[in-house]
Amino acid sequence: MPATSAHTTPPQIPLRTPIGTRPPKPPKPPFAKRLLGFLSGFGLATTLLVILGLLTWFATLEQIDQGLHATLRKYFDWRAVVVIPKLGNELLPLPLPGGYWTCALLFINLALGGIFRMGKGFRQLGVLISHAGILMLLVAGAVAFHRSERGHMLIPEGGSSNVAEDYHEPTVEITEIKDGNPATIHVIRGRYLTDLDDSRIRSVTLPGLPFDMDLAFYQANADVKAIGLEPPPPDVRAFDGYYISPKPGELNAERNTPACIARIVRRDGTKEEPFLLSTVCYHPLTVRQDDRVFTIALRKRQWLMPFTVRLDKFTAKFYPGTMKPSEFISDITRTENGTEVNAVIQMNEPMRYAGRTFYQANYQRLGEGPSARMASVFEVVSNPADQWPLYSLCVVTLGLLIHFILRLITAIQSFSRPQSDV
Amino acid sequence: MSNPPSAIGRIIAAAFVIAGLIGLVVSLLVASIPQGGPRQIDGYQPWSPEILAIAASLPLQDGGRIKPLSAHAGFTMLAIHGSRTMRIADTRGGNYRLSPTAWMMDTLFRPELAIQQPVFRVDNSAVLEAIGLKARHKRDRYSYQEIQPGLPKLWELAATYEPIPEKQRNPLQQQILGFAYNTRDYLTILNHLNFARYGIPVGEASGDPPLALSRAMENAPRIREDLIRARQAGEQPTGPAVYVYNQTMDAAGMAGQGMKWFPPADPANKTWRNAGDLIAGVVNDEIRPPAPAIEDIRTLEETCRAIASGQPDFLTRLTHLRDDLSQRATDRGEGRMVRLETHYHRMDWFLKAFIVFVLGGLTATAMWLSGRRRLGTVFCWVTLGLTVVGLLICVTAITERVLIMQRSPIGNLYDTIIFIATAGVFLALLVEWFFRRRLALGLAPILGLALVYLSRRFEMGDTKDHLDPLVAVLSSNYWLTLHVITITLGYASGLLAALLAIVYLLMRGLRLDQGDQSLRRGLTLATYGVVCLTLFLSLVGTVLGGIWANDSWGRFWGWDPKENGALLIVIWTLVILHARLGGFLREWGFHLATTFSACVIAFSWWHVNFLGVGLHNYGFTTGKSALWSFYAGILVILVFAIISRIIEKPEKP
Repeated sequence: MPATSAHTTPPQIPLRTPIGTRPPKPPKPPFAKRLLGFLSGFGLATTLLVILGLLTWFATLEQIDQGLHATLRKYFDWRAVVVIPKLGNELLPLPLPGGYWTCALLFINLALGGIFRMGKGFRQLGVLISHAGILMLLVAGAVAFHRSERGHMLIPEGGSSNVAEDYHEPTVEITEIKDGNPATIHVIRGRYLTDLDDSRIRSVTLPGLPFDMDLAFYQANADVKAIGLEPPPPDVRAFDGYYISPKPGELNAERNTPACIARIVRRDGTKEEPFLLSTVCYHPLTVRQDDRVFTIALRKRQWLMPFTVRLDKFTAKFYPGTMKPSEFISDITRTENGTEVNAVIQMNEPMRYAGRTFYQANYQRLGEGPSARMASVFEVVSNPADQWPLYSLCVVTLGLLIHFILRLITAIQSFSRPQSDV
Repeated sequence: MSNPPSAIGRIIAAAFVIAGLIGLVVSLLVASIPQGGPRQIDGYQPWSPEILAIAASLPLQDGGRIKPLSAHAGFTMLAIHGSRTMRIADTRGGNYRLSPTAWMMDTLFRPELAIQQPVFRVDNSAVLEAIGLKARHKRDRYSYQEIQPGLPKLWELAATYEPIPEKQRNPLQQQILGFAYNTRDYLTILNHLNFARYGIPVGEASGDPPLALSRAMENAPRIREDLIRARQAGEQPTGPAVYVYNQTMDAAGMAGQGMKWFPPADPANKTWRNAGDLIAGVVNDEIRPPAPAIEDIRTLEETCRAIASGQPDFLTRLTHLRDDLSQRATDRGEGRMVRLETHYHRMDWFLKAFIVFVLGGLTATAMWLSGRRRLGTVFCWVTLGLTVVGLLICVTAITERVLIMQRSPIGNLYDTIIFIATAGVFLALLVEWFFRRRLALGLAPILGLALVYLSRRFEMGDTKDHLDPLVAVLSSNYWLTLHVITITLGYASGLLAALLAIVYLLMRGLRLDQGDQSLRRGLTLATYGVVCLTLFLSLVGTVLGGIWANDSWGRFWGWDPKENGALLIVIWTLVILHARLGGFLREWGFHLATTFSACVIAFSWWHVNFLGVGLHNYGFTTGKSALWSFYAGILVILVFAIISRIIEKPEKP
């Protein structure tokens, strides 16, 4: 078995030792060398791969009951250092390192053992190349994890939009209204909000605005109930006749309706009465300060495109006599700086433009009857590592092909002619 | 030096293989043949082969495509009857094996005979008892005539159980509901041509013949005028016009399900019509001009009436109908693959492949028993010949499917099974080419027959036409085609590696190899090579899947169970190879780990479909127990191998 290992060479033990004497212990290598040996070794690689396999398997099973979003946060978020898997409703006494950190260690192991410390001979060329490809793939995954954005855009036929809405991140939007129209939008991002699921209160300073805000009691998924219809539990406070009624997260986390409690803090330190914010509220709260008017709302984060998309026509085709979809086609016009460009977005053929990709994700019928308008739903993704997996695939394939062809040639040469059969 | 395996060892191994082969064949037969002998039907006359050949190639639209009647009949019969053949006998001692086309023709054109046929497969007698009928056995088949008294109760129970979410229904409720759906589907076929048989009864007292539907359709403008005039006069429409209108619309409703035989005149309209559509369309003035539609109905009426004149006359009418429909389909540029598909179903390629692989398995056993004597060499060549023939049959079948579907060979779970069977046999032959120990050669037909058996059982349980078109996201994408083919080849390769490892463990554990180091090394090297191939195919296939998902759904990786399953195969293969390179797995450990990869592949290939989540979920629930049995079987082998490893004496160098 030719070694592709990055292991250190075993210490040379004398072939003959004097009878009655113990062989001298080899000198202990320095700590840094031992650490390097450990980090680059097959032992660590194998262990990490087993752990990654277990995490993947448990995450696959757990998403049935917990939903995908919650499961991914539990198993593969960078904040998940230790994971206790759950099978059904039972926690297993098997603490595992989090997937993010397992991949990070695997990256180090691969870089040290599979690239830097590995033999650089011709026989190792294929393995070197394929390891480099896997490293690229891990980097692509990390970049996508940290830098990509995903949202959706619903446009009715004849309508246009330049705003995509995030699937998950809640934001508090404070919009200054001038002449009856939104003038400036200030956004408090989700990271200032989503950890307030206990009794903590966070004061958020809002430069440029005549007030700050206190935020508290964030609930990832909650109903807003009227006390007239259903009285609140004794320990729950109502605001303007409504209260927040938390509920378990949806299996499809995109359907979660977050809510929180907020309070205006004037610049002179006076605190207004708290109020309730929820994504299910029809209208934003209006706040007046001096001559300025603001609206405050909790909604999924909106992100602005540098261009406008108009849906000219949406076509949904089905196989004849069935409701099985055969084609979804959106004819759109992209408008940027006054220039209009026509494009088609359909299943498997997204529109890539200006670092964003538009996918045909869904469609909706707005209204009833023959006059109902069709609307197209686009998934909008911004991922700097969009095509990196393709490049890494080419590298990995080349590397593996070189390696396995070399191994095959060796194996064929080593096969002796048959001496016995089964 | 190598030692020849002991004769006793060979016989034990051969007994295992033969028992396995017999088990598979018997299992397939038991699943499709009912208890008891053929059902007796007085006066049954089989259809002539000419009529069946014409009927089989009648084009119709079903499942979103144009297919021959034989295909539609095959899957409908499979769903209701649980088999593609039905055995009946007549009083004169004649025994008949009905094909799906023959059964469908009986149901459409000879309902008086059809209702006596044992068409309904009931696997749980409690279903019949629940609707107030007496069951003969726990599992049996019943005719429509036999179940008819229980129908009111059946509809009542179905209406009660239907609103219950599927996951909350108990097995009996689910079975009753399935039985109700099958009965409903059967009745739509049985009653489809009632309009042509009975017409509209008029003047029964005076003995006038019934009014043909085609005549009523010709009179549609007058009937409409009468109705409109009455309504305009503020009167409740009554009289003959209303009677004929109501009777016609009832007939249209009866013939308004399935059997979409008639291509519309408008080439832009892709939806074909059935007799009910034509009748209702003409009567309601929606089909213009009405004459071609009336002519179509008249043709059906004449074809139906021709039954009474004998089979030669019926053949003439049926041929006229088939030729007319085929020509109209051809003029629209449709139905070009109907003849090929008729041929595909007539040939029943995979049954032939199964038989050839069973023979190959038997000759392989004889080859292993004979050793390297002349007889062994003869069996070796016979096994090779049979395996190659089986492989060619599979390749021919898949090629025909590709031509019929006009898409890549893999688009659903059934496609993966037959593709893996073919690829697995080919890879095993490839291993034999390198290995030359007559081991992989013998395993090739066994692997082939096991997977073809799986495809038959899956088809019987699923009862869907897997040639039907795919949903939008799965159709026509370059990356998807590459991805599914590569990943499926990875499954085939992984299963072959596991099979080789199992053979190694059993041979060594049972001492069948007599400590032959050369054989062990060779087998290990062959398994190692197949594991490497599995890694290559699974890794490339998985990343290709990510690239496709990125193109279609906007993300490279979505942690979908199917994606995770593919990743698990990659990870497990990497574990095996790295642990081997690191010296953590020696021969025993390597083969144990490779055997376990069969479970990983089974999880990825099958188990994720039962989880009920994810975009790849095929949504079926049958066969879960078989999967657990598979896991248990692998576990037993692993435990046996571990015990063997513990008790194996260290061998002298």
